[in-house]
Amino acid sequence: MRITVDGTPHELDIEADMPLLWLLRDELGIHGPKYGCGIAQCGACTVHLDGLAVRSCQITAGEADGAEITTIEGLGTPEALHPVQQAWIEEQVAQCGYCQSGQIMQAASLLVLNPNPTDDEIDAAMSGNLCRCASYPRIRAAIRRAIQAEGA
Amino acid sequence: MIRAAALLLALAGPAAAQDFAPVYDVLSHPRCANCHVDEAGIPLWSNDDGTTRPHGMNVQAGESRMGIETLPCATCHGTQNNPLPGGAPGAPDWALPPAEMVWAARSAREICEQLKDPERNGGRTLEEVADHVVHDPLVLWGWTPGPGRDPAPGTPEETAAAILAWAEAGSTCP
Amino acid sequence: MGRLKTIARRTFLIGSAAVAGGVAFGIYAYRKPVENPLLADLPPGAATLNPYVLIDAEGVTLITPRADVGQGAVSIQTYLLAEELDVDPATIRTDFGPASGAYYNGKVAAEGMPLAAWDDGLVARTGRGAGDVIAKFLGLHLTGGSTTVPDSYDKLRAAGASARETLKEAAAQRLGVDRTALRTEDGAVIAPDGTRITYADLATEAATLDPVEAALRDPADWRWLGKPMRRTDIVAKSTGTFRYGGDLVFDGMLHATVVTNPVMGAGLTSMDTGAALAMRGVAAVLPVTDGFAVLADNTWRAMKAARAVVPVWGTATTHAATTDEMWQAHADAMTEANRDSRFADDGDVDAAPGTPLAADYRAPFLHHAPLEPANATVTYTAERTDIWTATQIPTFIRDAVAGITGQDADQVHLHNLASGGSFGHRLEDIWVRQTAEIAMQRPGTPIRMTWSREQDMAHGFLRPMALARGRGTVDAGQVRSFDLSIAAHSVGESQLGRQGLPAAGPDVAIVAAAWDAPYALPDRRVTGYRVPAGVGVSSWRSVGASHNGFFHESLMDELIHAAGADPVEERLRLIHHAPTRQVLETVADMASWDGPLGDGRGRGVAVTFAFGVPCAQVIEVSQTDAGLRLDRLWLAAEVGRVLDPVNIESQLSGGALFGLGHAIGAEITFADHRPEQSNFHDYDSLRLWQVPQVEVRALGTTGEIRGAGEPGLPAAAPALANAIFAATGTRLREMPFAKTMVFA
Repeated sequence: MRITVDGTPHELDIEADMPLLWLLRDELGIHGPKYGCGIAQCGACTVHLDGLAVRSCQITAGEADGAEITTIEGLGTPEALHPVQQAWIEEQVAQCGYCQSGQIMQAASLLVLNPNPTDDEIDAAMSGNLCRCASYPRIRAAIRRAIQAEGA
Repeated sequence: MIRAAALLLALAGPAAAQDFAPVYDVLSHPRCANCHVDEAGIPLWSNDDGTTRPHGMNVQAGESRMGIETLPCATCHGTQNNPLPGGAPGAPDWALPPAEMVWAARSAREICEQLKDPERNGGRTLEEVADHVVHDPLVLWGWTPGPGRDPAPGTPEETAAAILAWAEAGSTCP
Repeated sequence: MGRLKTIARRTFLIGSAAVAGGVAFGIYAYRKPVENPLLADLPPGAATLNPYVLIDAEGVTLITPRADVGQGAVSIQTYLLAEELDVDPATIRTDFGPASGAYYNGKVAAEGMPLAAWDDGLVARTGRGAGDVIAKFLGLHLTGGSTTVPDSYDKLRAAGASARETLKEAAAQRLGVDRTALRTEDGAVIAPDGTRITYADLATEAATLDPVEAALRDPADWRWLGKPMRRTDIVAKSTGTFRYGGDLVFDGMLHATVVTNPVMGAGLTSMDTGAALAMRGVAAVLPVTDGFAVLADNTWRAMKAARAVVPVWGTATTHAATTDEMWQAHADAMTEANRDSRFADDGDVDAAPGTPLAADYRAPFLHHAPLEPANATVTYTAERTDIWTATQIPTFIRDAVAGITGQDADQVHLHNLASGGSFGHRLEDIWVRQTAEIAMQRPGTPIRMTWSREQDMAHGFLRPMALARGRGTVDAGQVRSFDLSIAAHSVGESQLGRQGLPAAGPDVAIVAAAWDAPYALPDRRVTGYRVPAGVGVSSWRSVGASHNGFFHESLMDELIHAAGADPVEERLRLIHHAPTRQVLETVADMASWDGPLGDGRGRGVAVTFAFGVPCAQVIEVSQTDAGLRLDRLWLAAEVGRVLDPVNIESQLSGGALFGLGHAIGAEITFADHRPEQSNFHDYDSLRLWQVPQVEVRALGTTGEIRGAGEPGLPAAAPALANAIFAATGTRLREMPFAKTMVFA
């Protein structure tokens, strides 16, 4: 199968039923997306597939054949931060940090699809992402900060 | 094939043929009714004890019935079932049916009347409804719902046959 | 006070022999400085000035021995050292350091003693001092009990100051000037003429000097402490570049997963591995204690093959089959024979006047379920074993693995990592032991073992379920008497037992935050009953206070309502501890507390005192078509000196919301001797849309230094239950509340 991840094309000989998450982590060594539940309950594995936020533990290699994937590591880097990452840093969101790759990818997708969401729209789009540390108030604040930064 | 089955069922006797019950058993089953929900667009999850609760995570189907635009069903639901317990189920084009096709928490009579009404069945004849049951991938999912979920009763073919038999017998409602 | 007499007769949980013996023979040894564990593995050219400062040609590395489980421990330890050492916290390297008794936690042992944190009497002070002695002797290198900052505050600043002055002394000798003529800045000593000598340049000379003792800087002169800090890990955790245990890659590594008997401890009788071994990438299926491991070239392949193994599980059981039977065992344990403690016993509750009220309360088993599933990497050779894992108990793991490999403890090297959450989970180590067992069967091969979420969820050591019987009387519009009995398994007995340690004496955790709740009533009693060991139990965020806050503050609320009094006013009348009264007054002010709201809305209040921190919360709820909705949460706490206002707010708010998520929707139940929950679809917590608006205030009016990770939790559940009562008239006495109430 062929897949492009963070701009780099790859050709792989792997099982069609391998979840995209494990293709990324164990075949390509891209560890930003995290394994938390394996059943689309926590969102820690969220990546963008052809621009749409998806749970990479649900998408199989077969389904991802030919797709363009963006992971947290391709969204922005410590040297060139994405505005959502910048907002996450300014608001000091992360505690343990394990869910935050997925939270940030989901938030980035939200702001592409709806650059000026209401509080209810933020809550609706982000409720599939579980944070066991409950950093939620700062997640809300960071998204609002990113909206302002984008609008400025 | 379906016609032959319908004929056989019709020949079995008027009482059986007129019975909407086998159709209702399928349509009201959680594998169908959990997604045939009202305009609020909140699908249902089944608990182990047979009761239902709203889908977690504040999931809403939105006007598109494919999920609100910023969190479409496809974020979690792929084209096939996750093999793990509690895993997200999948089928091509995962979405809720239109709101006018609501079956959840409705009586046999209400669902029966809806099924006959092209305004509320996707503009289909009953024959087309039966055909839809055996061809639509998302409907077919109801009989292959993945681990930990009870499939809808019988088979798609038996359900289609039951619809046709009930139709041929006059499609009376309970 | 009667309480002190009671305590004087008691042994402490950690072991009476340890307390008495430690104090008696230990003062001289206790005062000896700890050995510097960094000397053992010092790389060529590197120097170390004390256990917290390592300097080599590359620069300074700070040792931050307390585990970071998300609470920001690395960051605050870094700032404490950097504030005195004058290095840049943003760029300085840090390391957790080796497992070593030198990093003993002098504060955590006191948590196991029946000493109220508000009590500053002689017995309490002596007991706390003994805790420090015990911890040093046992080499308790341990993170827990919200003690990281209290234990580190002086130690790390002193280590930083001493290292700074020793480096200055080395520079003074080299330059032939007096040390007082020198200053330090960003990792260098600056001479009067502006000459700059880096710490790296001075390190080997400084290491030959006797460490200089230095006075600590005046807080008024602090550069970073006391102001909002940028967490040292924040950029990595916001860019996906932070590395957790499961992200480590080693040459020649095999991925592994473990599956053990769903009935913990019942063992594996036999297994059919044929199908698994035939699957792509599978290297081996190996036995481990209680189950098996699958080794493969990819974690998913290992997990998939593990599902293809057909095990025949053993059937021995060590506890009851169902949750209902376990509740019965808790009810049955409320007898004199099982009485564990009665640390509070004032007046005579049996003779108290007034109108009686009685109610039972329940709290379920809970799993820590941090989002990062348990994992470890172990490489074993006959000469040495290396372990990479995230742990709060480094020395225990080192010794446990040495026991498995048959090596000496100094042949086992633990490389500690930050953890993707814990909530107490990383005080356990069963997965590390399993990985060591695998590694021994593959010498020389790094084994990176990851539990599936299903394995993790079904093999937790749990927050104990607990049953409380409350009663009291009200008289003339006031609460007159208060009598609370609590039955639970002993966390100390279970958890210390897993490490081969004794747990003598009563378990304070059974009654924590209940017996020492700072309420004064003429007749007041709190009794703990120990339920005989069953399901393995563990320290879960705020430990006993996690259920006792709910029990105590629910019963208190019921009595206050029965008396017809105001929930804030009556508590203020009864609370004898000034800082606790102050947080309650503050939160009432924040919420503009002013009687019932009506119209389907309600507010509840609760105040708890745990880990030395009084914390008061008001929660506001409303009834909606979709169910009950949490609208607002106000929280006031007195953590003493506020070192990082941002992180303290995150920890207090996180603790409260973690508590609410479980109070509403989570429980581990048993059927057929095994947990019924397997993943987050049946063990969920708060999601963003359910999170109320949160407002936190840390008072910072006392000079104490307290941790903030746990104290935000205990008042959350009762504040919610009390709010629900105010809004609906329904009194919720059993968690999770979603069993009896629909939530939006």
